[in-house]
Amino acid sequence: MLQILRWSAGRVVSALITLLGVSVLIFVAIRLMPGGYEDIVLGPLASAEEREMLAEAYGLNQPIFVQYFAWIGQVLTGELGTSYVTQTSVSGEMLARIPVTAMLTIMAMAVTLLIGVPLGIWTGVRSGAKRGGALGRVVSSIGISVPEFVLGSIVIFLFSQFSLGLKVGGFASIGTGFWPTFQALLLPALVLSVFCVAATARTTRDAVMGVLVEPHITAAVARGETAWHIVRHHVVRNAGIPILTLLGTITAYLLGGAVIIETLFNLPGLGSFMVTGLGRRDFAVVQATVLFAAAVFVTLSLVLDLITSALDPRVAVTGKAGS
Amino acid sequence: MLNNQRTRPRAAAGAALALSLACVLTSCAAPGAETGGVEQSEEAPGFLAVADESLTGEGALTVQLDYDTSEADGLDPQTAQTARSWMIMGLVYETLVTTDENFEIQPALATSWEQPDDTTYVFTIDTAATFSNGRPLTVDDVVGSLERQMASMSVWSGQMGPVESIEATGDDQVTVTLSSPYAPFLAALANTPAAILPMQEVNDGSVDLTTTMLGTGPYLVSDHRQDESWTFMANPDWRGGDDLAVQTLELQIVDQESTRQAALREGSTGMANFVNIDSLSQLGGNEGLRVVNQTQSDLYYVFVNSQKPDSPLNDQDVRFAINTAIDRQAIADIVFAGETSPTGITPSNLPGACLVDELPSEQATIEDAKAVIEESGAGDAALDLVVYTSEPVMAQIAQLVQQQLAEIGVTVEIEQFDTATYNERVFTAQPGEFDLSIGWFAGYTDPSMVTKWWNPEQAFFNVGFTGVHEDLNALIAEGASESDPSARAEVLTELCASADEYSEIVPLVHRPSIIGFDTAAVSPTIQSNEGYGDILRNIVDYRIAGE
Repeated sequence: MLQILRWSAGRVVSALITLLGVSVLIFVAIRLMPGGYEDIVLGPLASAEEREMLAEAYGLNQPIFVQYFAWIGQVLTGELGTSYVTQTSVSGEMLARIPVTAMLTIMAMAVTLLIGVPLGIWTGVRSGAKRGGALGRVVSSIGISVPEFVLGSIVIFLFSQFSLGLKVGGFASIGTGFWPTFQALLLPALVLSVFCVAATARTTRDAVMGVLVEPHITAAVARGETAWHIVRHHVVRNAGIPILTLLGTITAYLLGGAVIIETLFNLPGLGSFMVTGLGRRDFAVVQATVLFAAAVFVTLSLVLDLITSALDPRVAVTGKAGS
Repeated sequence: MLNNQRTRPRAAAGAALALSLACVLTSCAAPGAETGGVEQSEEAPGFLAVADESLTGEGALTVQLDYDTSEADGLDPQTAQTARSWMIMGLVYETLVTTDENFEIQPALATSWEQPDDTTYVFTIDTAATFSNGRPLTVDDVVGSLERQMASMSVWSGQMGPVESIEATGDDQVTVTLSSPYAPFLAALANTPAAILPMQEVNDGSVDLTTTMLGTGPYLVSDHRQDESWTFMANPDWRGGDDLAVQTLELQIVDQESTRQAALREGSTGMANFVNIDSLSQLGGNEGLRVVNQTQSDLYYVFVNSQKPDSPLNDQDVRFAINTAIDRQAIADIVFAGETSPTGITPSNLPGACLVDELPSEQATIEDAKAVIEESGAGDAALDLVVYTSEPVMAQIAQLVQQQLAEIGVTVEIEQFDTATYNERVFTAQPGEFDLSIGWFAGYTDPSMVTKWWNPEQAFFNVGFTGVHEDLNALIAEGASESDPSARAEVLTELCASADEYSEIVPLVHRPSIIGFDTAAVSPTIQSNEGYGDILRNIVDYRIAGE
């Protein structure tokens, strides 16, 4: 037990160090990019003096470590700064957008789990059968290899011609009620989930196939247990750990994919907020959104690790899941 | 059509083939493709669309636009620098005068004006106008607004010309005196940066123009989320009447062209703007949609950097050879499917503009250009050609220019950057960190408003890539001060030729503006020509179906 607690504390510390590293990385990286905020906001017609004045007003002419410590000091007190462009609180802007991104990723995650896991179990159980195995491989290969922006563009074109009651060019304003928001988010969520469904199906299939060759499955068959009972009680439970581990990666993927999907479908979420901020060199916005996404991923990974260690204590001891 | 010396069918075919391959990947039109199903014609002289007066409905209109603008100084119209800001702020603010479909000056807050001599303008102010807080407009607001603009030292104060004094000379009369004649003065007054502001409230501090818009115009701001949307409500006290058909106007910012197209098709928006010329064909065939190509005076150009040390482009002959090799008509035909036209430095749709065919570079031959490049050794090294990615057509123009310059032995490597990087390399760096670059200028409504960009002492943004030429500067000044139309046209012709020979900023073609609308949602009035990028210029004339 003490070992598990020590391991858990270590994971929390490493998560905090990861976040600190991300904060340094993003802060330095965005400042290494050519072109500054003043180049965008003042445009070509501004004089050098005007650019300097603006840089000074935002402290952009300070040494980078001075800027970093000023920012990280703010972040540690819960203040994410002010958008250069809108002059509004970044945390306030993020709070307005988080529901859109959250709904989008939750819907995509739901689709992933509802389709990906059963599909993986089905293809894993039928791995010996020609038709089932081949179909699974084809579906997952297509899902993994088609880029989101290509699939998204096709979906936008098709559904703008034949809308079927679903929106592809409107806003997903949460305030308009559940159904309009659902209508606006369903197609983006489906597009976003395609890769994850394929990846989950493939991982689940491999995990199921790995479990099916275990001696206890052979014993269960010998005992005369039904196929459904074997899957439910032996296969799913034992294949659960690799699937759980995959969920952390999928979350990171969904958050990254949301950047593309929100921009493509014009959804006012965190992803499009970050892209716009990046284009405008609105450093405060980019730093805060990237750090937030990293925090979500790191926290989720931590939680999944803790759950995994609870399910299989050998994780905390050896760092590896048992079979 | 250009002269025969410049006709190069084989090269054009090669360029078209190369572009077609690129276009497969970038979803642009096939080179030389028909725009398909869209016959561009005017509904009335000077208008692509005219609102159906029989429609009497009132209601809401959603318009999707490609981008919002951010202003370093907030929402102050006097410091607004981009056409999008002018258009949005122009819904709330009004100017003394405005321009019509022929670029002629028309009354606005000034009901009339007189010009007793070349340098004096006497305006009669419409004192029936009120700001949206209910306070009547006064001559002090007019005087204060114009004085504030001149004191701001903004880009637009330079466009206002040599203003010597602004005085109230009666209860409804304001007199502006210039120190010397300046032809574009009224045209400069006709754009949003010359808006008449509530100076009483500005002076007593009750209104902060950087955060609040308070004008005499037809609309009030109801809500704004930067880069997301603007919502405007009709101003019930607007002097133009309270029967505006568009009572609520929502401007949604939608970055992706394909998403705006989809929204227009599915009815999520009543109107949208497009940059890609293919929108004409992609939307034109859809039942219930109309799509028009408004001619802007805006123009694409190539900067040819003469200020980079040890560059072959320091040699004027080399620059002129490059200018000669650039085939404007081919760009119009291949990249824009013939939906735009070549221009010299004075936008060719403005009165008095110079003729493109008469430019020295259009008269020279490709063989001349090739000989100069060979003799100078300028073909030995590759030149970089930088463009920005937010307007994909830039890369398509760049590919064609690359092909055209290859014909005279100049090797060009295209580099694409985001806007911030582009601006830093082209405008901020001294000298500019590029050899060639493509961009576009706003063309405005008077030729002399754009010709000053060819003088780096006036347009300091180009000092990193252009030299100072006293003879050219003298012509720019003469063009701005000459008021006799025929004499001015002669000066402008000479000015175009001179700038063409220096070949540091090479104008290419007009930048098209595609506007699509759902005929079931709105019946708009759209001018054939526009100078200040205001695609909603006639919104008070729009009509909506219903009772």
